[in-house]
Amino acid sequence: MLIQVAVIGLLTGGVYAVMVSGLTLIFGVMKIINIAHAAFMVLSAYLAYWLFSGLGIDPILSMIGIVPLFFFIGKVTQRRVLSPVGDDPGLLVLLTFALAITLEGVLGSISGSTFRTVRTGYTSSIIPVELSSDLTLRLPVVRLTGFVASFVVLGVLWLILNRSGLGRAIRATIQNAEAAQLVGVNIARVRSTTFGIGLASVAIGGALFSLIFSFNGSSHLDWISKMLAIIVLGGLGSLPGALIAALILGVAEAVSAVTMTSYISPIVFYLILFLTLVFRPQGLMGAKVREG
Amino acid sequence: MSRVGTFLKQYWMFVALGFLLVYPLIWRAPYYHVLGFNTLIVATAATGWNILGGYTGYKSLGHSTFFGINAYLVAITANELGWNPLWSAPLLALGVTVVALVLGWIMARAKGSAFVIATIAMLLIFRLLALNVKSVTGGAPGLSQPLAPWSPEYSRMPFYYYMLFWLVIALLVSAYIRRSRFGLGLLAIRDDEGKANMVGVNTTLSKVLAFGVSAYFIALGGGIWSYAQTHIAPIFAFSILNDVDTVLATMLGGLGTLWGPVLGAFILIPGSDYILFNFGASQFHLAVFGVLMVVIILFLPRGILPSLRDRLAARRETSSAFTGASTMEDLSDSQPRGEVPGREAPAP
Repeated sequence: MLIQVAVIGLLTGGVYAVMVSGLTLIFGVMKIINIAHAAFMVLSAYLAYWLFSGLGIDPILSMIGIVPLFFFIGKVTQRRVLSPVGDDPGLLVLLTFALAITLEGVLGSISGSTFRTVRTGYTSSIIPVELSSDLTLRLPVVRLTGFVASFVVLGVLWLILNRSGLGRAIRATIQNAEAAQLVGVNIARVRSTTFGIGLASVAIGGALFSLIFSFNGSSHLDWISKMLAIIVLGGLGSLPGALIAALILGVAEAVSAVTMTSYISPIVFYLILFLTLVFRPQGLMGAKVREG
Repeated sequence: MSRVGTFLKQYWMFVALGFLLVYPLIWRAPYYHVLGFNTLIVATAATGWNILGGYTGYKSLGHSTFFGINAYLVAITANELGWNPLWSAPLLALGVTVVALVLGWIMARAKGSAFVIATIAMLLIFRLLALNVKSVTGGAPGLSQPLAPWSPEYSRMPFYYYMLFWLVIALLVSAYIRRSRFGLGLLAIRDDEGKANMVGVNTTLSKVLAFGVSAYFIALGGGIWSYAQTHIAPIFAFSILNDVDTVLATMLGGLGTLWGPVLGAFILIPGSDYILFNFGASQFHLAVFGVLMVVIILFLPRGILPSLRDRLAARRETSSAFTGASTMEDLSDSQPRGEVPGREAPAP
């Protein structure tokens, strides 16, 4: 029973990894905590939901349209809204928070407070995996899809970062923005492109999210704190750290939900977030949160 | 300058105070009393928040934690011990300040974005506790407490005057701190924490004290709000929207100025009430609020008062016989936003 729960937690953790990969990448390059990240995820989930309920397009398929759209939104948002503000971290957090409540208000007034989820033909399908004669794991197809998709996304992100010219520019900017600029990296472009990639990845996260969880316009507040706990634990700016932390927290959450009082598990999330920020700002791996 | 102008310039504080004193007598409908009371709560909270967020630059998005804690303390002591909230609110707020000092001392280690996120996490932890420790807080439905003894016909009027009194106290404290050695230390932290430390400011102690003082006035408002509401619930007592009101009011009026938070609250709260009234039941007002916040941060990042002061200074230069005056005015009109201390211009 506990193994079953832990495995489901691990699969969920994989989906968490996609949701947060963009958030940690954006922090790495721009030192911006994008509080609107979860709100953009909920927006993408709504788009997937509307495309599914209106036109019958499967969320996995609808990504083809949503992902480039989010890349574009991200690039424009960074250029027109974030970059003019400068680099006061307090102001930037407020600004992304303002974007988040704007999205919440728009989605809430379009769709009301009813919780939505995408129910496809395979939503309740389960693949049984027989480990031994008395232990059979039952793996839900949607979570398995999410898990596999998340590794595809993380793989692509890894390739972009480590095997392309853009990736080299991004890594240089993460290490030392001024020096990168001196050797001819167009930092402004790197930043807006990174923000675009970050939102594109959360668009994928949102489509997967719409298959697994139910959501309404205000859901983003619960999710952003979860996302922050993951990337802070993983070490802000570190992709491998985020993956490991997402898997750990996915399992911890699933196990604590069945073994403890239900409200303890979210409190554990926030406590991890709070204590890591205060006592080990570098997280499990990765760089310290720079001061503003 | 005309005689009226000179008079206003010298005694505007008393004119404003006089207006606030007669306001509930002129506009007698309960609606105006509620609006005035809410505005005063935010003005007091913003004046307190500004001591931390404006003077030291540490912008907390979780200070309504203290608003919520005191709201509950006041309700619980009124029910269990029969304490009158009018005196228990400022007293219990001192207890909340002690809690804030401890939390502030823990969080003083975090800087920049880490500090902001830690404050949000703090708020969410307390909100979950309020929702779930049902034996103390009554869970999601919340708590009720005895009604105020005066006739409902007076509605919020006594609360209004009580809150006005505390706003004046908050302003006196804020003004005193700004002129004190302690306040100079806080401003030095905002400009450059490392250097402030080097020239002998005990930065940790200063930040923790500022955290505590700002928490006091927010907690105080929570306690009085709790009595005025008579029924409180976690989603309103521990709401990040309370922080948004406070922060937005401060930024709109002028971050780090004495009067900015008050001015901001007197524009923002009636304004958002108007928006709520017109866009009504839907969540659309949240979107309007968000866009407003983006616009303020983008186009008026220093707030109304500092921008106005620059304009006036430039005007004075022009009217003097100084020949370079027009250039001066051009210069100050085109002040880049990046010239605020501690903020650099965006990368090209």
